[in-house]
Amino acid sequence: MNLEPTLAHYLLVSAALFALGLLGLITRRNAVQALMGVELMLNSANLNLVAFSRFGTGGIDGQVFGTFVIVVAAAEVAVALALVLALYRMRRTPNLDAATTLRG
Amino acid sequence: MDALLESLARTVPEAIVCLGLLLVVVLDSAGGAARRAIGPISVLSLLLALVALSRETGAPVASWSGMIASDPLSALLRALILLGTLLVLLSFDLGRSRELKGLGLGEFHALLLAVAFACLLLASANDLVMVYLALEMVSIPSYVLVAYLKRDPRSNEAALKYLLFGAASSGTMLYGLSLVYGIAGTTSIAGVSAAMAGSLPAGSSFGLWLAALLVFAGFGFKVAAVPFHFWCPDAYEGAPTPVAAFLSVVPKTAGFAVMMRFCFEALSLQRGGALALVEIVDWPQLLMWISVATMTLGNVAALTQTNMKRLLAYSSIAHAGYVMMGVVAMSEDGGRGVLVYLFTYVLMNLGAFGVVAAIHASEGSFDLRDYAGLHRRSPLLALAMATFLLSLMGLPPFVGFFGKLYVFGAIIARGPEFYWYAGVGAVNAAVAAFYYFRVMRAMVIDPETGTAPALSLGGREALALCALAALNVLPTLAWGRVDEWTRAAMVLLPR
Repeated sequence: MNLEPTLAHYLLVSAALFALGLLGLITRRNAVQALMGVELMLNSANLNLVAFSRFGTGGIDGQVFGTFVIVVAAAEVAVALALVLALYRMRRTPNLDAATTLRG
Repeated sequence: MDALLESLARTVPEAIVCLGLLLVVVLDSAGGAARRAIGPISVLSLLLALVALSRETGAPVASWSGMIASDPLSALLRALILLGTLLVLLSFDLGRSRELKGLGLGEFHALLLAVAFACLLLASANDLVMVYLALEMVSIPSYVLVAYLKRDPRSNEAALKYLLFGAASSGTMLYGLSLVYGIAGTTSIAGVSAAMAGSLPAGSSFGLWLAALLVFAGFGFKVAAVPFHFWCPDAYEGAPTPVAAFLSVVPKTAGFAVMMRFCFEALSLQRGGALALVEIVDWPQLLMWISVATMTLGNVAALTQTNMKRLLAYSSIAHAGYVMMGVVAMSEDGGRGVLVYLFTYVLMNLGAFGVVAAIHASEGSFDLRDYAGLHRRSPLLALAMATFLLSLMGLPPFVGFFGKLYVFGAIIARGPEFYWYAGVGAVNAAVAAFYYFRVMRAMVIDPETGTAPALSLGGREALALCALAALNVLPTLAWGRVDEWTRAAMVLLPR
């Protein structure tokens, strides 16, 4: 039996990760947990990029792309956590459903 | 080294804006009298960038190892971005703003320049990596700008909503881009187009369709298209008014730039000076439904708004739907329609936000009911607002008319099966006229409660609004020139 993983396996795992990340982002009330969902989504795309780079004809373009994504994710999460901290200072809770002033 | 210098020569405007940004940060941290130079330095760097852009010469080329496209199309779009940023800085009197009182303006200018810089990159992105990087570089400083009123919980809430929607849609777009890379085997847009023209791996048709759908999520978020628009009214309401005005024109222009490049260059084939569809992805169909939903929902939701910032937010969503008509048309005329619409939109929407900011600076209110009797309290403001609203409606002789003329013309030229789409657009324009007239009625006809005193208007604001109002009429007199610019920018080479 050949247990060598193929491209399809990687794609399945990344699709599952993406779905879980989106689900987490939509359903979590805690802002920090919602941000973890975002990280899962970005990393599922990273997995795709690296897998395509390894198995496809694309050379190392995908790995370079993945490196940039990691950098951007770090920058994004820095701003996001600053905003969550500001939310916590003003409302004494990290829950997103506390922020419901703007409607209409 | 030669390639590097050559690339640098094609991105002088970006370099100037970047230097201006660094200078602003240094001056701000120096403090004291140096801070007074921040405003002029920002304006100067944008002006110099515009001059550098207008003097740019040379054949269309992909610079920076194929990351940046330096062609006439990107030149015109970059000019629009610089013009929009410049008008924001000139027409809003930040010192008089009630919202920004007590907050440092150094970071404000730095962030504004950072977004403008990233928009310049996004408008000329020629590689999937650059598309993603530039899009995030636009988004991240935008979140901070929306959260700028750090003691106002609404500003924080708006930024948080903006960030979560932004992160979700850019993550989705990235997943789509990774699929495009997997199918095409390259990240360059020209390479993707070449791969589409050749033979693709068997069974990739569904994958490609899915990838296009996911990528549109990212573009849709940037231009605030339905169903990725939820952040837009909240972000505009919570953000300082100049930021809302800026977000409604500059990143939107960049978003349409990248959408147009991706649709026309990666997902289409250029054959003999016309665009042909890649056989397996019918993206105009997809985009058409997004556009119909966007304009309809934007206009219907705007009907019941009483907060002017929210009203303008929904109106900007509806306008994104009209601009998309030009992309759906998938032709040279359609592309020119997008360019004309974006140009006119910068002038009319910044004007409308300018009036809203001026009224808030003296009245402290965004409520439409407080606009009653404006024609008596400040005839100049009422007249300027009427000009911008008529332009937004798309009535001649105001410039807004031309945007609609070009995109509707491009759609009708596509043939009878698109007539119903143009019809939906026309009905939408009529619905939009209703709420724009409602604002005018509030200013002129509605009875005043009590006798509010005349509005005080800063000299700079008055001058800026007069200039913007004039810019909403004057280009009509020399429309041939504007037409020529867009004709030169939107050329499909026969190959």
